[in-house]
Amino acid sequence: MILEKDNAAQCARMAKIRLTPQETAQYEQQMQELFGWVQQLSEVDTSAVDVSAAAGAAYLRPDEPIADAALAQTLVSAFNEQLDGCAKVKKVL
Amino acid sequence: MNNVFEIASAVQSGKMTAREAVLYSLQKIKELNPQINAFVEVWPEEALKRADEIDARREKGEKLGLLAGVPVGIKDNILYKGHKATCCSKMLENYVAPYNSTVVEKLLAADAVIVGRTNMDEFAMGSSNQTSVYGPVHNPVDFDRVPGGSSGGSAAAVAAGMVPAALGTDTGGSVRQPASFCGVVGIKPGYGRISRYGVVAFSSGADQVGVLAADVQSAALMLEALCGRDANDSTSLDEPVPAFSRNFTPNIKGLKVGMPKGFLDNLDEEIKEKILAAAEKLKALGAQLVEVDVPHAKYSAPCYYIITSAEASSNLARFDGIRYGYQAQDAKDLNDQYELDRAPFGPEVKKRIIIGSTALRASNYEACYLQAVKVRELIKRDFAEAFKNVDVILTPTSPTTAFTLGAHKDNPLAVYLADLYTCQGNIGGLAGISVPCGNDKLGLPVGLQFYGPILQEEKILNAAYHFEKAL
Repeated sequence: MILEKDNAAQCARMAKIRLTPQETAQYEQQMQELFGWVQQLSEVDTSAVDVSAAAGAAYLRPDEPIADAALAQTLVSAFNEQLDGCAKVKKVL
Repeated sequence: MNNVFEIASAVQSGKMTAREAVLYSLQKIKELNPQINAFVEVWPEEALKRADEIDARREKGEKLGLLAGVPVGIKDNILYKGHKATCCSKMLENYVAPYNSTVVEKLLAADAVIVGRTNMDEFAMGSSNQTSVYGPVHNPVDFDRVPGGSSGGSAAAVAAGMVPAALGTDTGGSVRQPASFCGVVGIKPGYGRISRYGVVAFSSGADQVGVLAADVQSAALMLEALCGRDANDSTSLDEPVPAFSRNFTPNIKGLKVGMPKGFLDNLDEEIKEKILAAAEKLKALGAQLVEVDVPHAKYSAPCYYIITSAEASSNLARFDGIRYGYQAQDAKDLNDQYELDRAPFGPEVKKRIIIGSTALRASNYEACYLQAVKVRELIKRDFAEAFKNVDVILTPTSPTTAFTLGAHKDNPLAVYLADLYTCQGNIGGLAGISVPCGNDKLGLPVGLQFYGPILQEEKILNAAYHFEKAL
């Protein structure tokens, strides 16, 4: 895999991470080294591996609502601002 | 005062009070923490109040739990209701846990006393405990060296005798590697053995809660109290939990110990000598050494960094200032809001998110992420095949002993490679334990690691227990 130019800057934007020019240059170089090292994975023949068949069993809970007003209040109170029992966030649109 | 088994037995029988055990621990923390920085917060009044409650229950004739009066530290990514859990990140500097993690519930149910939260690499990303917003942890063996990471605070706290045991989390070796660097025991059970409910997620396919303790029996008792099915974690296994601390066999005669082909190649000579001497010791105890082949294990580290970074980029998306984390007040639009909210992440966390986003990008997905997932499957098969012929597999825990603070600062790849032996366990879903096997010429501890198949933690505990006794 060859990294595209400006990869770090592009992927940082997608991940909503703002980088300074210095950070961008530093990450760009470190990621070139890292993905160069990761390239060794391509030498492994994985043509016979079906990962969809390898997924482990998951033990799921019944899909039932839990009515716990005290917990709901605790969770909402963790936000900076609350309004009518809901978490209030800043208007951004 | 460092053996969990002895403290719990003494408190249960009334030979010692929980208050005495906790006071001892608090005094040690007061004396040593200013130099070591293992604890980022201590709750003395609360710990003593809880100790008194335990003592009062014993006086009334109540039967106390497995960990009666045992002072315990918890890593700062484990939720304890009403207490801060910051992942040692500025992002969560004011976050207070609204509920208890399952491991905390289990500690409390076993009558342990949680005395404080321990330092760690930010969001558990690191192997040296140098990325914490609270500053680095100093190795109690040599203050100029790192304690390992990411559970460096937990390992250092146990090594310094501040607490007899502490909880850590292990995504690529974050319990076992610091155990090795600090000269204590660290165990990560197989994937699914301990619930992760209420533990801040880094990489959900690899994260496991583990234990740091001064000796194998203490680690076994802690594990016994923590394992078990939890409906709140869909990956937790519904399997019986053995009495790990009481199931040691009288000897290890006939135990088949796997030695992976080529696993000592290019290893530091001193560490190599220690591992070979340990193998001879096991042989003298009656174990049989058997060469095993795990040909894909050498790809574990690159595999690990791709998969865990990809999972981290997804897991850490919730820290956007709206669901969790810092919220900027001066954003101009939605993008600006997100980017400003995520600014408090430290450099290593930002880098891993970007690595993960790169690996998951449509143009890279198949060649990078999917290929890593497929290689992981081959590594799992290699280990499953090897365990058909042996009971445990022996490796070094780390290719080096504790390095100096600030070393490898500009060479992250060197740090990533240091996880080679430990991340195999997370990639393979195996149970792993690190146990001290001597010191190098500088007096720094060297760790020996035993791997066992999932749900067979007893085998690695048993091997480690007999090795520890014979050392």
